[in-house]
Amino acid sequence: MVPKKKSTVLVLGLAVWIAGCGRPSNVAKQPDHDMTNATMELMPDSRSDNPVHTIAMPHDEPGFPPGPGHDEFVTACVVCHSPRYITMQPRFSRTTWLSEVKKMKDVYGAHISEDQVQKITEYLVSINGQLDTGQAPKGTYGE
Amino acid sequence: MNRRRFFQLTGAAGAALMASPVRMTSVLEASSSMRDLVRFPEKTEMILLTDRPPQLETPIHYFRQDLTPNEAFFVRWHLEGIPTSVDLRTFRVNVSGHVQQPLQLSVDELRSQFEPISIVAVNQCSGNSRSFFEPRVPGGQWKDGAVGNAKWTGVSVRSILDRAQVKSGAVDVSFNGLDAPPLPSVADFVKALSIDHARDGEVMIAYAMNDQALPMLNGFPLRLVVPGWYGTYWVKALSDITVLPQAFSNFWTDKAYRIPNGPNGTESPKDLAKDTVPINRFNVRSIFVRPDPGETLRPGMPNEIEGIAFDSGHGIRRVEVSTDGGGTWADARLDAAIGKYSWRRWRASWTPGNRGQYRLMARATNSVGETQSKEQWNRSGFMWNVIQQVDVSVE
Repeated sequence: MVPKKKSTVLVLGLAVWIAGCGRPSNVAKQPDHDMTNATMELMPDSRSDNPVHTIAMPHDEPGFPPGPGHDEFVTACVVCHSPRYITMQPRFSRTTWLSEVKKMKDVYGAHISEDQVQKITEYLVSINGQLDTGQAPKGTYGE
Repeated sequence: MNRRRFFQLTGAAGAALMASPVRMTSVLEASSSMRDLVRFPEKTEMILLTDRPPQLETPIHYFRQDLTPNEAFFVRWHLEGIPTSVDLRTFRVNVSGHVQQPLQLSVDELRSQFEPISIVAVNQCSGNSRSFFEPRVPGGQWKDGAVGNAKWTGVSVRSILDRAQVKSGAVDVSFNGLDAPPLPSVADFVKALSIDHARDGEVMIAYAMNDQALPMLNGFPLRLVVPGWYGTYWVKALSDITVLPQAFSNFWTDKAYRIPNGPNGTESPKDLAKDTVPINRFNVRSIFVRPDPGETLRPGMPNEIEGIAFDSGHGIRRVEVSTDGGGTWADARLDAAIGKYSWRRWRASWTPGNRGQYRLMARATNSVGETQSKEQWNRSGFMWNVIQQVDVSVE
């Protein structure tokens, strides 16, 4: 009995949440057509009673498979950014991955030795690379 | 392991994650072909590009609203050290440098001591739609959702600079936020505008977005708004304004966010431009919001095709739609303009006659005759505005 009741509550809870999905609390309204120098009352801010505003960032980064260069990659790269900066990229050529690693070292000052540049590049090619076409774009800056 | 912690941190969103096809796990699942939906603090379910620092893309259906809800507005940070807590009792925006009267202003003082202004303006990431460039380029692999339209309310930078009394000979004004680099060797993210641009009366410090406080991930408590210019200039969690008697120089201006100094920022992969300039104003583009790519429509039934179009502030004058892959074009109807920096909605009715595959296209033109590209490439994947194609089936 007890487990059954519990699952009913869970299903109800989900249904309520799903029903609420389409109606976000911050529904955009039809805009005014004269926006310049509009005098307006700010809508009540739920935070206004608390002068300290804090969020807690989620933390769930993908694990990367073992292999030559894995440890160098984790040590040198993941210090500054999530491994998702690798997984969101298309399968780049060795030339492109090498230019990315060099950019991180030379432009952003990542702590990577020359020896590690090669190891990390080979590792990136092994997990998200392709045969070199010889026509890869050079590294980019910013985005 | 980390999955449990993620659920705990996001609270109610955890239930949503378990109930919906959302995964944040292995490297294979997170491969570039997957487009995971995630919930970050104060945000709705968004498309995950990266988590640290976060880059979150807006699902296109939100663009069926004229103003993009704050919780769905795209997120893009550069440096790992993003602000996650702000105490409004101690937070100040500092105005210093080449001024007679340095200022330290609280958010309350900005709200109470200056005349508020509001502007509806599109903010678009320089790299929006980067994933469509061929050959592919490194960087955030956005589709069309690194853009949004909001009503920004705050104070003009001009009014603040007037109170600070800019000394003669000012050249640039730099803007810095609370985000911090993970290593001393990484340049802090600081951007600058010319003194004339900063003082144009439209560049503003926003303390409200769609009449509400900004989400932390969109720049709480203050964000620079630079209407008509790419998002890289819209510094988040703005904390320092510095007036300079010389041209501003740093990595993020000298090396990053530069485009070929030619038509529409285009260059050839085989012959990269040597002459580059800082990215600046939006080019003209339009984005379909209806129908969805791959949607199946019925023959003989009227369908509403809909999209948005915007430029850097000249104003959208015309949008043409093709339902035969660019063979013929017909004018779409334009909704009333909301403001020159807002996007403008366009609509067209289409009754497909026969079953088959159709390619829909939309081409926007602004009031000075600028229109969209047929092809485009640059090494950084900036300023995409190639005429969009949406393939649909009629069955």
